[in-house]
Amino acid sequence: MSDVHAPPTAASGSVGLVTSACILALIGVGFSLAHFIWPTPLFFALFMIVGQGSFGLALLLYVIAIIRDLRKQKVL
Amino acid sequence: MSHEGLFSGSTENVMRWVAGAGIVLGLAAAAVMIVVLLRKPEWRVTAHAKWALLVGLLVLPGMTMLSGNVVGFHKVKNSCTQCHTMDPWVNDMKDSKSTTLVGKHYQNRWIPDDQCYTCHTGYGLAGNIQAKIGGLGHVTHEYFTGVPDVIKIKRPFNHETCLHCHGESAKYLKIEQHVDAEMKPKILTGELSCFECHAAPHPRKKP
Repeated sequence: MSDVHAPPTAASGSVGLVTSACILALIGVGFSLAHFIWPTPLFFALFMIVGQGSFGLALLLYVIAIIRDLRKQKVL
Repeated sequence: MSHEGLFSGSTENVMRWVAGAGIVLGLAAAAVMIVVLLRKPEWRVTAHAKWALLVGLLVLPGMTMLSGNVVGFHKVKNSCTQCHTMDPWVNDMKDSKSTTLVGKHYQNRWIPDDQCYTCHTGYGLAGNIQAKIGGLGHVTHEYFTGVPDVIKIKRPFNHETCLHCHGESAKYLKIEQHVDAEMKPKILTGELSCFECHAAPHPRKKP
């Protein structure tokens, strides 16, 4: 039987963080590629605000996932 | 067709290379992240995934973003007014009858190209959060609240921008106040703003 109601573990939390980080970083890279291909002020503004913003958030989530893992392994 | 060689050192050609590198790095980053996302969720927290993501989520996208900044700022250096709400002031700068400081700089070609960018690049290559918040404020003015009649600079204008060109010029050094023992240190440290004595570079009110 599926344990969909099981409480979230630290590992499942980290999976969620890493998955979110990947998706956000992909969005950031997507805006970056769009502005390389169409170098207009609009795409540049989107790259600066949305692209770099989501990439920054992705890095933050990734760092949180790493810190969680290190704490779990009692390194920190 | 361009007459420049593939390895010409011109700025445009260098930017083409940087943009090309940015595209390759961005595609490589996207490939790594897509592979990670296509694997089983449990694999994403393994040591292998961490190493893959160190490259695919940190190094490659970081380099893509950096090259994006370099190329982007280069490409839009002449299009500032498309996002920033400075049209009336830029029009004043280009007006041959303008007597403002920026007008004189423009008419005399003291700054031959990229006039806005030359004086307003205080926020650095990577662009920082303050600049982004400021840019969002400009977008709000442009589309919702309208351009105010009186503009105020958020932070004092960096005196080093003026001194970068004027600081050691013979004309500058001829002015008694600029080399005065009491005033010189104040000018060099920014304690005494250039605009205490010189007129405001842009008109205070909407021209």
